Amino acid sequence: MASLTDHLAELVEDADAVLLFSPTASFHDRFVAEEAGDGRDAPEIVVVAPDNDVDADPFVELPIPFRDVRDRIRFGIEGAMESDLVTEGDEVVCVVSVFEGESDAVIRVTVDETVHTGIYDLFVESRADPGVIRDVLEVAIELGKKGQKGKPVGALFVVGDAGKVMNKSRSLSYNPFEKSHVHVGDPIVNVMLKEFSRLDGAFVISDSGKIVSAYRYLEPAAEGVDIPKGLGARHMAGGAITQDTNATAIVLSESDGLVRAFKGGRLVLEVDPEEY
Amino acid sequence: MTRPTAPRLVETAVPTAPEPAGPASVGTGTPARTAGELLGVVPDRVWLALFVLALGLALAVLVGIVNRRLLVRAGVPEAIEGTTFERTAREFDTSTVRIVAKLSTYFIVAVTVLVALTVAEVRYVDLFWSDVAAFVPRLFVAVLVVIVGIVVGDKAELLVAERLRGIKLPEVGVLPTLVKYSVVYVAALIALGQVGVQTLALVVLLAAYSFAVVLLTALATKDLLAAGAAGVFLLLRQPYGIGDEVRVAGQRGIVQEVDLFVTHVETDDGEHVIPNHAVFRDGIVLIRE
Repeated sequence: MASLTDHLAELVEDADAVLLFSPTASFHDRFVAEEAGDGRDAPEIVVVAPDNDVDADPFVELPIPFRDVRDRIRFGIEGAMESDLVTEGDEVVCVVSVFEGESDAVIRVTVDETVHTGIYDLFVESRADPGVIRDVLEVAIELGKKGQKGKPVGALFVVGDAGKVMNKSRSLSYNPFEKSHVHVGDPIVNVMLKEFSRLDGAFVISDSGKIVSAYRYLEPAAEGVDIPKGLGARHMAGGAITQDTNATAIVLSESDGLVRAFKGGRLVLEVDPEEY
Repeated sequence: MTRPTAPRLVETAVPTAPEPAGPASVGTGTPARTAGELLGVVPDRVWLALFVLALGLALAVLVGIVNRRLLVRAGVPEAIEGTTFERTAREFDTSTVRIVAKLSTYFIVAVTVLVALTVAEVRYVDLFWSDVAAFVPRLFVAVLVVIVGIVVGDKAELLVAERLRGIKLPEVGVLPTLVKYSVVYVAALIALGQVGVQTLALVVLLAAYSFAVVLLTALATKDLLAAGAAGVFLLLRQPYGIGDEVRVAGQRGIVQEVDLFVTHVETDDGEHVIPNHAVFRDGIVLIRE
């Protein structure tokens, strides 16, 4: 048994930082107390969780509880990089929960360029509020899971920088959201959005989450947009508008049912609604 | 008020009193007889008083239990979870709900004792008891008001503190405490008024305090109120919307956001946040190509 412990000790050796994902309060306190008592250049302890329940100082807020552990770890590491807690080349040990419940896995990651996908920037560095992006993403995921009356449906949400987006698009029909003051995240509005998803065109949502318009035909300049081949016109329009403006596009694909997020003309996040 | 009925009670009681003692004296002899005599000696209204007392006590316990159930059913324990009063009560192995329920029990017990004493016609303390009878309900209300005041104050403090948690400034910590003590002060004032203490000076103090609060708030939020009023109009009529190109307050740009208080206008050199009353006062130029 001792050999097993010895082998696994390598996993956490010389770590520059420890990322605790949604730790319980007692686990966190014990961890911090022991590491602080250790003295010699102790690794940085960063808590990554939806809420700062444990009052940790280096704290990265998780906007959505990523089911995919890789996305969760990427988000945590990029958040830590953003606040200069870790830098490229650091060895990071992540304590995460793969299955529901308490932390059950230890994962060692070397921070390098490939880890950086912009998933953290998508939420935190976007023009729109992180909560708004999360709400739109949730609507898209739910729509992808259930579809419209059982049939798979596609949708395109353009979030943030609404003024510019409106000037770079035109209306396909009357705007059902004209003179209404509805915001995403409201359960009734989410139902409305799902109902309206059978309409053609894009939804435009402002920085603060107000639904500005539906039925928008996007007319961005699409030169040099680099999105994976095989994605359709909806993704291309979504990707291009994010290059032309500071908006974020969240696209639900009708054909493969995946939800993708674009920012700055790049594909940033890809989630399978079935996994949530 | 019991005076006309009481002598009649005594008269009817005298012939009936020996009867329950009768059968007992046949079987057991002298001790039973003395017991019978004792029963005869004790006036009937005392029995009535004892009966009232027993009934009252039963009622009090019942009301206490029902009260507690009602409070729990109304969701009071969840609502006051975490308040200082509740936590202190927990330390003494009780809870606010239980204290309030107990209080209603004691109130009924006190009223019962008074009724029993009246029925028993303890005359020599009549004057004293009539004062107490008037005082007990007031005291009950006063204690209830104090408890409710403290609990509501605690809860208000918690809510305000939670609301301000995002603002990490030490000065902000004064606000929740201020809210709490304002509520407790008003509760204490009501309670003192109930038990008949002169509270004029305290009321004047409260008036001065609330006047200052209202005045200062009005002064401080003057612009916010004006912006909000203008914002209501702008949101209802929507003379301009997101995506329109406008010139407002010397800035030409694209409207990015309109909310209750401000309008965001993005120009080439940055995003201008313009209070809505400025939009209203200076007018807005819609630019159409």
